[in-house]
Amino acid sequence: MSSSGDIPRLPAHLYVHVPLCRSKCAYCDFYSLPLADVAEDVSSIAGSLASQARAWLARDVGPQLLKSLYVGGGTPTVLGSDLAGLVALLTTWFPLAPGAEVTVEANPESLDAPLAAALAEAGVTRVSLGVQSLDDGVLAFLERSHDAATARAAAKAVRDAGLALSVDLICGIPGQSAQSWIDTLNGALALRPEHVSVYPLAIEAGTPLSAAVAIGDVPEPDPDTAADMMLLAQHVLGQAGLARYEVANYALPGAESRHNTAYWTGAPYLGIGPGAHGMLDAATAAAVGFMPARGENVARLRYSVACDLREGLTPMPRLDVEVLTAAETRREDVMLGLRLTRGVTDDEAEAAGVTGALETLEAAGLVELVDSSWRTTERGWLLGNEVFSAVWAGE
Amino acid sequence: MFAPPAPCYPYDPMTDPTLIRNFSIIAHIDHGKSTLADRMLEITHTIADRDMMEQVLDSMDIERERGITIKAQAVRLEYEANDGVTYQLNLIDTPGHVDFTYEVSRSLAACEGVLLVVDAAQGVEAQTVANAQLAMNAHLEIVPLINKIDLPAADPERVRHEIEEGLAIPADEAVLASAKTGVGVREALEAIVKHVPHPVGDPKAPLKALIFDSYFDAYRGVVALIRVVDGAVSKGMKIRMLATQTVTDVEEVGVRRPANIPVDELGVGEVGYLITGLKDPSLVKVGDTVTVAHHGTVDPLPGYREVKPMVYTGIFPIDGDQYPELRDALDRLQLNDPALIYDPESSHALGFGFRVGFLGLLHMEVVKERLEREFDLDLLATAPSVEYHVFLTNGTSSFIHSPQDMPDPGTIDHMEEPYLKATVLVPPEYVGAVMELAEGHRAAFKDMQYLSATTVELHYEMPLSELIMDYFDQLKSRTKGYASLDYEYIGYRESQLVKLDVLLAGKVVDALSFIVHKDKAFARGKMLTEKLRGIIPRQMFEVPIQAAIGGRIIARETVKAKRKDVLAKCYGGDISRKRKLLEKQKKGKKRMKNVGSIEVPQEAFMAILKVDE
Repeated sequence: MSSSGDIPRLPAHLYVHVPLCRSKCAYCDFYSLPLADVAEDVSSIAGSLASQARAWLARDVGPQLLKSLYVGGGTPTVLGSDLAGLVALLTTWFPLAPGAEVTVEANPESLDAPLAAALAEAGVTRVSLGVQSLDDGVLAFLERSHDAATARAAAKAVRDAGLALSVDLICGIPGQSAQSWIDTLNGALALRPEHVSVYPLAIEAGTPLSAAVAIGDVPEPDPDTAADMMLLAQHVLGQAGLARYEVANYALPGAESRHNTAYWTGAPYLGIGPGAHGMLDAATAAAVGFMPARGENVARLRYSVACDLREGLTPMPRLDVEVLTAAETRREDVMLGLRLTRGVTDDEAEAAGVTGALETLEAAGLVELVDSSWRTTERGWLLGNEVFSAVWAGE
Repeated sequence: MFAPPAPCYPYDPMTDPTLIRNFSIIAHIDHGKSTLADRMLEITHTIADRDMMEQVLDSMDIERERGITIKAQAVRLEYEANDGVTYQLNLIDTPGHVDFTYEVSRSLAACEGVLLVVDAAQGVEAQTVANAQLAMNAHLEIVPLINKIDLPAADPERVRHEIEEGLAIPADEAVLASAKTGVGVREALEAIVKHVPHPVGDPKAPLKALIFDSYFDAYRGVVALIRVVDGAVSKGMKIRMLATQTVTDVEEVGVRRPANIPVDELGVGEVGYLITGLKDPSLVKVGDTVTVAHHGTVDPLPGYREVKPMVYTGIFPIDGDQYPELRDALDRLQLNDPALIYDPESSHALGFGFRVGFLGLLHMEVVKERLEREFDLDLLATAPSVEYHVFLTNGTSSFIHSPQDMPDPGTIDHMEEPYLKATVLVPPEYVGAVMELAEGHRAAFKDMQYLSATTVELHYEMPLSELIMDYFDQLKSRTKGYASLDYEYIGYRESQLVKLDVLLAGKVVDALSFIVHKDKAFARGKMLTEKLRGIIPRQMFEVPIQAAIGGRIIARETVKAKRKDVLAKCYGGDISRKRKLLEKQKKGKKRMKNVGSIEVPQEAFMAILKVDE
């Protein structure tokens, strides 16, 4: 789980957050700023992110070859060719293990063939493309700054550059018909992705969409419709060989996201850039001097980078820290592990002290014990919060 | 008439009754009564400016927040009038709400006059009329005062006219004031000295004093606020309270300025406090007469009655473990509020709690709020009920105040429910809205009269059970807040009543049952099930909601099982945040009551009150 060896090491997974977008979408509550609101040029922002990453190397911990690098956002591709430069720089400072996965997130309007080629050249292996829908009406409702044709062209650029393609899709959108969703699923499959993520629309507080729902301009998304669409996605994607391996993620065999799987399996990861999050085991956290004074019985430390792009990016920004005890860490691992289709072993559940909770959930038909592993049933998949909160509470 | 020469006490000799004025301020809510009282305390230097907390007389937090007075208070002011003489003015504050009409009447019985405060913009409202009538019935001198004359919308001439036309009180000499700015406050005190008669009593007769309020002090026991009518009361005397026949010693007498200041004696016409060391508030009753223990008067002051709750509700702790704390809290509140009564009640759905009786809906809200706020309890209240009189076919009868106590319908000959006379004051353009609302609430129109061109007074007779069914809120909203309401009880009348049960997942939830008029049962049952469908969140399984009368289902709705509830997006940045979200949701569920395996939000138990007609 944690790094091996005598001295604590930096995590083998690195996330870099690029908090910029061409414009904000109606539903999004991720930390990002519209390009127009940012005074600095994108090159210097890329440079600042690189400096923040580099500052970690100056700390008193050993390095480790990266198993995965993920540049997310926001929309990293708004950095243009500077994105390729950033990836090249990062992989110079944080060398990659053989066969490492290097993903960048992209939105169709800012990814063309030359950029895709430059990213491939810089070492990127995989692009996660924010397609969301292939229905122009739905895209307009979401206030996306691209249409379906642009998304198709961007996907083609990814393929032509020899990169693996992951496609993000959203269902359960008010006004989205079943036919629109089926067409989007089939249209997405026509792009030949190795990986697809399917998210039911969530109304996040503070977004334009939540305001529209609050004043009654937009109906609340219907959870039953979303459930139907999630089931439909599982069926259609499954027939095309993309199996669901997590609540929202589907992949061809072997094409599962290794970076994201690290999040669900308790592997430590470094987060860099405004609003990014990281997770360290206790030994590494202590070695870098993050351990709080009341640090006894801390097994895991989670942090978020508390800096604002508008106030400039310093190399070592303030971090907000949350610590978990050993028992909490074990429960969190089971909670996250149950997001995965393969679930968690009964030994892990027993060690976390949640066997009783799982048996109660089993009686409600939400989880099942198969081959010494607890995993969610189809009902438990769709009612995941019931499972997660019971496991986290341990009751 | 003169009192005998005052004996020479070191301080505070008994005051010559001719120099005493006992008065009360009466007003509709928000017409500025408390602010006016504050100014009077200020300009008589009863309280230093720097000690002046806004509205000293309304001392409970809830009173101050709601701008209402729940407990009466009394304070002595020394006022040097324009004639150069210093008068003793006793300001007796009255509860300002219809729930407390009896308390108001006892406070007024301690006075010779009242200051009737009317808002210069709002004019005469329902409680203005009701309070003025109470004062007239008590034969008190009424000094009108038109307040808030500084408001842009003030129209003192119109209001003067309303007072004369609507209340038949001469208002040509009405004091024009703004309690806020202090204008007219001195004039008000002058008017009191000039117009309110001084008290008249026999100093040689045995003690006769009226208890017009009481409160509980943790160190001193019950403190009674009294007005001496005849004789005098002093420390060390042995006294008797006539209604309860309690005999006890006087530990201390004194006056309130507004802190308690002990004095040696209170004589004819004086107002003050009396401490006996009694710890049981039920022995010291508002309206009772105090006399000397031996050879005292046998003739009680008129007007005493037992206070009787009119509205009952079940109060249950959300967390069953808090039952003992709830009991202790009710015990404590009752010390200061003898009108509060309660008995243990158990519900299959809600566990152990209490059936609590209140004077009215406001009293109920105030008590529930105090229990939650001052005692840190999470409580669930069931829909309020009135006290029904059930006559059985076997010739016996009983009072019930919980739907759970309703006998088998086959054994009931007939039932009666409490009725009241409601007075609604409203601008003429809203008369139609008031009429429509009345139809939905079984209110029988009696008469209507124009108090002025802008105010109509309507009278209805209606069941109390209908009034507590959201009538007041509806009245306010349908008249854009212009209507005001007052009511008085007129006794029991026969009604065709049935008990309506609500079933969740096929099981009767006793705490949701209510008693309703036969003709309304179907409509209310249907609307309640619809309302509950919106309130009860989707559960892991389907929940049928049914309304039934005597086993016959009259309405049905279904809360569908929830199918999707999952945080689908959970990556590195989401883990802490989403975990906290789940914790918060879990906490929200704990605020709900588990009825069987169904999570029912608190508001479900009050839903019947919010059923729109």
